[in-house]
Amino acid sequence: MRTASVMRAETRLAFLLMAPALLIVFGIALIPLGATAWEAAHQHDLRLPWLGEPLIGFRNVAEAVTDPRGGSALSRTLLFAAVSVPIELAFGLALALVMHHVTRGRALARAAALTPFALPTVVAALVWRFIFESTGARAGIDWFGGPLIAWLPIVVADVWKTTPLVALMLLAGLQAIDEGLYDAARMDGAGPLRQLWTITLPLLQPAIVVAAGFRTLDALRLFDLPYVMTGGGPGTATEPLSLYAFTVLMQRLRFGYGSALSMLIFALALVVAFASVRLLGRVSQGERR
Amino acid sequence: MREAVASTVEARAARAFFSAAFAVVAILAQVGCGAPEPRLTFSGSAVGAEGDLIRRQLDRFARLYPNIPVEVRVTPDAADQRHQLYVQWLNARAAEPDVLQLDVIWIAEFAAAGWILPLEADDDDFFPAALAASRWQGRLFAVPWFVDVGLLYWRTDLLSAPPSSLADLRASALEAIRSGRAEQGLVWQGARYEGLVTVFLEHLTAFGGAVFDHRGRITVDSPEAVRALTFMRDSIRSDGLVPAAALAWQEEHTRFSFQSGRAVFMRNWPYAWPLLARADQSAVAGRVGVIPFPAAEGGRQSAALGGAQLAINRYTGEPEVARALVDFLTAPEQMLERAREAGQLPARRSLFLEGTLAESLSLPLPEVYRAVDAAVARPVTPIYSELSDSLQVHVHRALSGQERPDDALREAAREMRALLDRTGLAPAAP
Repeated sequence: MRTASVMRAETRLAFLLMAPALLIVFGIALIPLGATAWEAAHQHDLRLPWLGEPLIGFRNVAEAVTDPRGGSALSRTLLFAAVSVPIELAFGLALALVMHHVTRGRALARAAALTPFALPTVVAALVWRFIFESTGARAGIDWFGGPLIAWLPIVVADVWKTTPLVALMLLAGLQAIDEGLYDAARMDGAGPLRQLWTITLPLLQPAIVVAAGFRTLDALRLFDLPYVMTGGGPGTATEPLSLYAFTVLMQRLRFGYGSALSMLIFALALVVAFASVRLLGRVSQGERR
Repeated sequence: MREAVASTVEARAARAFFSAAFAVVAILAQVGCGAPEPRLTFSGSAVGAEGDLIRRQLDRFARLYPNIPVEVRVTPDAADQRHQLYVQWLNARAAEPDVLQLDVIWIAEFAAAGWILPLEADDDDFFPAALAASRWQGRLFAVPWFVDVGLLYWRTDLLSAPPSSLADLRASALEAIRSGRAEQGLVWQGARYEGLVTVFLEHLTAFGGAVFDHRGRITVDSPEAVRALTFMRDSIRSDGLVPAAALAWQEEHTRFSFQSGRAVFMRNWPYAWPLLARADQSAVAGRVGVIPFPAAEGGRQSAALGGAQLAINRYTGEPEVARALVDFLTAPEQMLERAREAGQLPARRSLFLEGTLAESLSLPLPEVYRAVDAAVARPVTPIYSELSDSLQVHVHRALSGQERPDDALREAAREMRALLDRTGLAPAAP
């Protein structure tokens, strides 16, 4: 009886202490999310006021799911994530290993490696567009003219821009690995590759999962690079889902349908976030065992 | 080329910055107002020469109506951003701005939404295409203010006469390339944006097609339209008539190409004329002529119409004075002054014919007059921006080889019909 009331008091205290945090989460995440969901359930076209703003339930979502332009934007977004994230992980790992093993000028090397990350994405995108446009003009290659080739500048710019972030996350993981393990392995005659394969990579798994999760979430909301570099073209060949949602919302001013597209992006991100948290749990458990 | 890109990028950055700043100022201005005494606000382009001009003209108007001060509400010069701002204001039923400068393609949208007042039509001096663009369901909703028109620029030193037809244009351009007198045949705006739609519409008219028929049904998938798009596709992908890089070009890219003497023909707006005439910057100064875009077999010569109209906010508190201001700004005297100071073409036919305009504008006026007179209004529909977006996507896909011209237009037509159905604008079945 007494223990129960203590428990209840503790629970009350816990909620009280969490209240500010909950309030913030509610304010900055749930309210806008709810408003978007509400908007998505209505027909709301700013430019067609004679249609009113009737509640139409899932009709916007149904349209989003069957919209061919939305569908191809979705598959392009997924493909972009599937291609760019592994490249960034590979390059990021290499960069992290270099930063980890550099002994002289360590601070300088790390700062230099991080500069692309510090540049605003729009600026980086403009610079890369100039690079591809001018080299393309000289070599007679139109990098932005074909539906597939136009992705190359985007992927290159993305890899260049975000590899440092991946490297930074992996570097933190590397520094947490006990140096004694490497000494022991060397004693047993393991070469550098063997050490990488049997010590570094397995112990780095949690950091890799975190980096991959972050990058995938980022890649799924790809917007600024194609917006600046290709405008989504040629045709809509480089138009990711968020750029399409932007066009619908900000140019066509179809708030209801645009919100439905935004909810789809949110659902996608939620799935990836859950998946990576689950994966992280499994990986760190495996490590503890 | 790189210069052109840098300038558009700078311009875009500057536009973005200014539009953000303007939006803030506009909101502050609205919060700050609420004064009960009658006054009028005008919204439109008000930077640089245009800004000085409009302020001077508004001052003159204020002397006619001394009790009603007129203020300028500055809005972004980028069309999309101004459009978005207007839509937000009018949705909120703001009483200001009372008089709005509208792009020629917005009238039907604003009229259908009930955001602008219908006007009495009493003046037929305006160009027919400009008036057609100002009407919605038979009623006039705006008064033409200035016009812009698509022109075909041609090199008088490479050809003895302008092309008489589109086939003639193609043949003489390819001949000039073959004989090494030029690198490029025709340059036009092929990037995926509104400019591409104007280029497509000129080809469409040249081949005898149209987006809507006289009953308001979509005909953009007609055989004539397929021929027009096929001609454009072949020009860029197989004939070598249009350079492949044009897929990413807007107005300035084409001007740089033509100005440096590389191309035989250029499709562009009148703004390029004085720039091409400057001998210190242009390799083709004094060797350029203009005509309307020539006809193909079965069609007619054509020109896309741009420009601006003036309309009155439905929620204005001063409809009579607002109408007086519109009449004042669109009067011949103010239009002539606008031509002289801002280089914008008057929307009145009489000003071209009287000869006074020649002192104000350094343009080949007879040819420009022919082009404006041949001009076709872009499709007059409240859903113009979606329609344009759909055309941009499918035309660009056809030009970059992702869709066949007939498939591209069939798909565009399907999207437009669905859109008309959804919005309740589809024409009634016969």
